[in-house]
Amino acid sequence: MSETPPPARSSSTDVPVSGGALGNEVPEEAHLLDELEGIGASRSFGRQTWDRFRRHHLAVAAAVLLVLLTIAFILGPILSPYGFADQDFTALNQGPNVAHPFGTDTIGRDILVRTFQGGRFSLRIALFVSLLTTAIGTLVGAVSGYFGGLLDTLLNQVINLFLIVPTLVILLVVGVRYGATPNGIALMLALLLWPAIARIVRGLFLQYKEQEFVLAAKAAGARAPRIMFRHILPNTFGPIVVNATLLVGVAIILESTLSFLSVGVQDPTPTLGNLIEKAKGQIDTKPSAVLIPGGFIVAITLCVNFLGDGLRDALDPTARKS
Amino acid sequence: MRLLTSTRPGRGALIVSPSGADGEWAPLFAYVARRVLTTIPLLLIGTFLVFWLTAISGDPLARLAQLDVDQAAYDRIIELYSLDEPIPQRYGNWLVDAVQGDMGPSPSQGNQQTFDLVWQRAKNTARLAVPAFIFIAITAVTLGVYSAVNQYSKLDYAVTGFSFLGISLPTFVFGLLLQVVFGIWFFDWFGVRPFFTQGMRTVASDGWLDMIRAHVLPIITLWLVITAAESRFQRAAMLEVINSDYIRTARAKGLPRRTVILKHGLRNALIPLVTIWAIDFALLLGGAVVTETIFAWPGLGRLLLDGIFQQDLNLTMGVVVFIAALVVFFNLVADLLYGVLDPRIRYE
Repeated sequence: MSETPPPARSSSTDVPVSGGALGNEVPEEAHLLDELEGIGASRSFGRQTWDRFRRHHLAVAAAVLLVLLTIAFILGPILSPYGFADQDFTALNQGPNVAHPFGTDTIGRDILVRTFQGGRFSLRIALFVSLLTTAIGTLVGAVSGYFGGLLDTLLNQVINLFLIVPTLVILLVVGVRYGATPNGIALMLALLLWPAIARIVRGLFLQYKEQEFVLAAKAAGARAPRIMFRHILPNTFGPIVVNATLLVGVAIILESTLSFLSVGVQDPTPTLGNLIEKAKGQIDTKPSAVLIPGGFIVAITLCVNFLGDGLRDALDPTARKS
Repeated sequence: MRLLTSTRPGRGALIVSPSGADGEWAPLFAYVARRVLTTIPLLLIGTFLVFWLTAISGDPLARLAQLDVDQAAYDRIIELYSLDEPIPQRYGNWLVDAVQGDMGPSPSQGNQQTFDLVWQRAKNTARLAVPAFIFIAITAVTLGVYSAVNQYSKLDYAVTGFSFLGISLPTFVFGLLLQVVFGIWFFDWFGVRPFFTQGMRTVASDGWLDMIRAHVLPIITLWLVITAAESRFQRAAMLEVINSDYIRTARAKGLPRRTVILKHGLRNALIPLVTIWAIDFALLLGGAVVTETIFAWPGLGRLLLDGIFQQDLNLTMGVVVFIAALVVFFNLVADLLYGVLDPRIRYE
């Protein structure tokens, strides 16, 4: 996660997805003019961020695609004539056809609507995981970085512990019983993923707490919580947002992996992972039932990773060392 | 005291000191001993955590209920596995046996000794893990160094794209894709199956060619995801090194480009990667749950899943202890390798 691809000037030439189709295409010279204007007039943080972000065409395209996918996942089940748990015993185990564009499963459920509903559940789980993990990780990291001492030692030991006992092992052990519902699995993932965020936030707090503005705040009589959350935390906004974004991808992959191992969310609730788990036995005769949800997973994670990369450029320009 | 975590050399338990005589082995042994000793509390907490979570996550008597057995059978099972005792006490019993080398029998595997089962499956896993790791190490370093040296070239973009794809592609999707392509489509198009997609059934009976055909797809599956992450990491490390002053000095005094990149650059850029290698290799040897499930490979990952699904506490604990031991061991190896790569690092 440390290194990111080169700046966006590349993406418009090498990659067919250009900003032109999205109405964001600005010629190179225009960037220069923007830059020159920016020297005299001051631009807000939000404006600067947006200007940097939109030049990363791939990230913009990824964001647009993610929004489209989300809309499709929400509208699909509403517009579909079938419910995601409805069984039609006259249409068992069909391949793709006109009435069921993605086919039906072994008990006659429409795979199209199950895929979209599954995408909706998967995305919901991932967003929940990302928010909760970021909240816990930020809090622990902030306190541990600012105060140090016992809590800091404890955090380090927890990180070491998760290295010795890999996350997947704990997820498998606990998931058998507690991972069967979307909220249960989201909670489980969040409780295991927070140390990574805590470590990043801790590092940032260690770095900022020595700076003059913190000393100034202390001299003005501010107490620790105010210094931590009003003075230091806003500075860590960039890296936290970037990592929260990347966490969505991590959560989708982990959730679907657990479902694939039949530990995660259980039937009839669909997620992209358990759709694949159900279909993998028939991979010889009906590969589409595996490849379609798989394609959605890859599309989402790829978009999330490109988006995270673009956000890193925009929010955290100093992170790119080279 | 930090242990095991040092993702960067020079942090944590390693002490860099410019002085210190060569060839003194005593500090090294003391260092190793201290590292192993300080890991013990973590191992205890980790194994207890897994024991406790396994014990509360399932009901080992649930399967008996389906079998319609009498009360005596229940009592016998409860007695046999001390299910009426509190979990800490059961953990204590397990621990006392375990430190004496007795990992107990595994009820779900016909009461075979857990230790024998783990060892036998570990060998199957190693057949995938060792070649996969060798390919990963070679390709990750090559791609990382090449794209860092030729930053912003076409190849650099290709490597970056490959990394993004590999990171975004879940192992099970990639593995299933390989199965579809080589198991189904390739056969439809050309009428042959170049690789086996299910298990190692032919390994014993047929020749070396069939053995290779059985290993190729699972190894590629393991290779992609890890290589994608590692090559990105290696590229970052290499970029940091080749933009540093001493590399400019080496170039300025007219050393051949190859020497500068490989001897001055790569040797230093390898240090951060060694930590990643230690973790990845330990986890590879600890069993690839997903890959082994897809390719029906009788390795440690499948054994772990069996233990968890069958509520087999001894078996689950056996695999977990094995993985933990691997992680501890290879992290130690990585720390010692720093000393080889960077002679300034001393173990005190």
